[in-house]
Amino acid sequence: MTPILATVNYSEPWWIQIIKALVIFAVGLQLIPLVLLAERKMLGRFQGRYGPNRVGPFGVMQPLADIIKLATKESFRPRTSVGFIFMAAPAISIITAVATLAIVPFGNTVDIFGTKVGLYGVDPSIGILYAFAFGGIAFYGLMLGGWASGSKYSFLGAMRSAAQLISYEISQGLALVGVVMLAGSLSLTEIVDAQATQGWFIVPQIVGFVVFLVAGFAETNRAPFDLPEADAELVGGYITEYGGGGFTSFFFAEYLNVIVVSAITVTVYLGGWLLPFGWHTPGLAMPFIVIGKTCLLIFLFIWVRATLPRLRYDQLMSLGWKILLPIATINTLATAVMVVT
Amino acid sequence: MTPLIFFIASIGAIAGAVGVIALRNPFYGVLSLVGHLLCLAALFLLLHAEFLAAAQVIVYAGGVMVLYVFVVAYVGGSGESLGASHGWLRILTPVFVGVLLLELMVATLGSGLKAIGTEGADIQASFGSPAEIGELLLTRFLFPFEVASLLLLVAAIGAVGLARRRSGFTVGDAPLDAAARSVSPPKGSGTMAEAAGDRPVFGGKVGDQ
Repeated sequence: MTPILATVNYSEPWWIQIIKALVIFAVGLQLIPLVLLAERKMLGRFQGRYGPNRVGPFGVMQPLADIIKLATKESFRPRTSVGFIFMAAPAISIITAVATLAIVPFGNTVDIFGTKVGLYGVDPSIGILYAFAFGGIAFYGLMLGGWASGSKYSFLGAMRSAAQLISYEISQGLALVGVVMLAGSLSLTEIVDAQATQGWFIVPQIVGFVVFLVAGFAETNRAPFDLPEADAELVGGYITEYGGGGFTSFFFAEYLNVIVVSAITVTVYLGGWLLPFGWHTPGLAMPFIVIGKTCLLIFLFIWVRATLPRLRYDQLMSLGWKILLPIATINTLATAVMVVT
Repeated sequence: MTPLIFFIASIGAIAGAVGVIALRNPFYGVLSLVGHLLCLAALFLLLHAEFLAAAQVIVYAGGVMVLYVFVVAYVGGSGESLGASHGWLRILTPVFVGVLLLELMVATLGSGLKAIGTEGADIQASFGSPAEIGELLLTRFLFPFEVASLLLLVAAIGAVGLARRRSGFTVGDAPLDAAARSVSPPKGSGTMAEAAGDRPVFGGKVGDQ
């Protein structure tokens, strides 16, 4: 019997798959506390204060202290909540975030002790559609969390995130169609390979890049699009009623989504593991190049959060439908004409 | 591995389908429909149709069902439950469903089960890939594809038209949007310059966060 996933370019031995899953998961998880600390430190600097500086040298142990605080909190839920769904919602958020991490290519196929190993979790032929499929399921994490809390604030926050996610998903998808047409493939590794010959796609697809990035900010519910958890009007949005473990899970999923969106942007527009000026990339340095570029984009996320005020809800909707969507559509059409002629 | 996934997914699909009609709470009904669609996507994956599986999840679970959840969560209410149907519907519905089931069974027994003892159809590595599907859509099935896209365009324009007509009817009470715009704040309020203190602050103190 052929392995069921052999036809989706996933025919490596089972032990390589397990090791890869563990390594990617471990690296991805280690990035989250770092991003958390970097964000709080930088926000502090942007606002003319120190940021966390009490726990450990320069406050570097702050994420650990946060985790201990959250893990030892009492776990409770409102009487009006729906128990089963209330517990399942954070799990859905985390599962979809971690699953999306699997298609981020940290490098091409390399030789490790004579074994060919692809430095990515999976490289399915549907490529980027895999990420969109899990993005679609991620919606249920927020939505069910807000609905099952049995609180008006949570419910309204969830509704906002629902409207926001479906509005911006369309622009994001359309922005990527341009890249897919240029590369002639949906597979992320093949998109990077195409950039080795055609140059980084941020140059011909600068419009698509901007649309994708703005939609990415909205998809991850980050400032200036953090309306689902607009503190001033909705307390904490869909996470209002969550404490301890549930809150940690949503928080964790949000930051993992930031990392994944940055990594996918790097892969699709910024040349993935390729170095600029045509420098040759040594095999095992690829993951470090990808992670380095990803960290630069995460810095951009933090920078934008520190700089821009939050949008109003109607501004958010008209930006998504009346500005980003037409721009993305025109970009797609222009790219199609360019590719065909 | 394959039979195990097949049975988990098919049991999930059947349970989801039963849940849709058996659950009284509309919100749970919608959720079980989502579960049913996800299980169908898993079955598509087993059939090497990964593009179809992704499309199923993106379009149905991530698009259509999102709107269902939206509407049911707003309108349906968690406490309300659908009442039992009555009258001639009670008799007519089982008849229709029964006829449909009979037809499906005849079709299945007549054709599909001939290959049950064999290994199944031979497929190439590119079977079900986006490239293959795209080529078929633009060559062999070009006409149905274009007709379907025209239908979607008509539906989209129709939706816009309906939405516009409804907003056009509110002549008596001015739309909220216009009312809000007529009392627009002074120029420059809500900007960074205002926060930095270059101009007088409108509407109270500028808060943190």
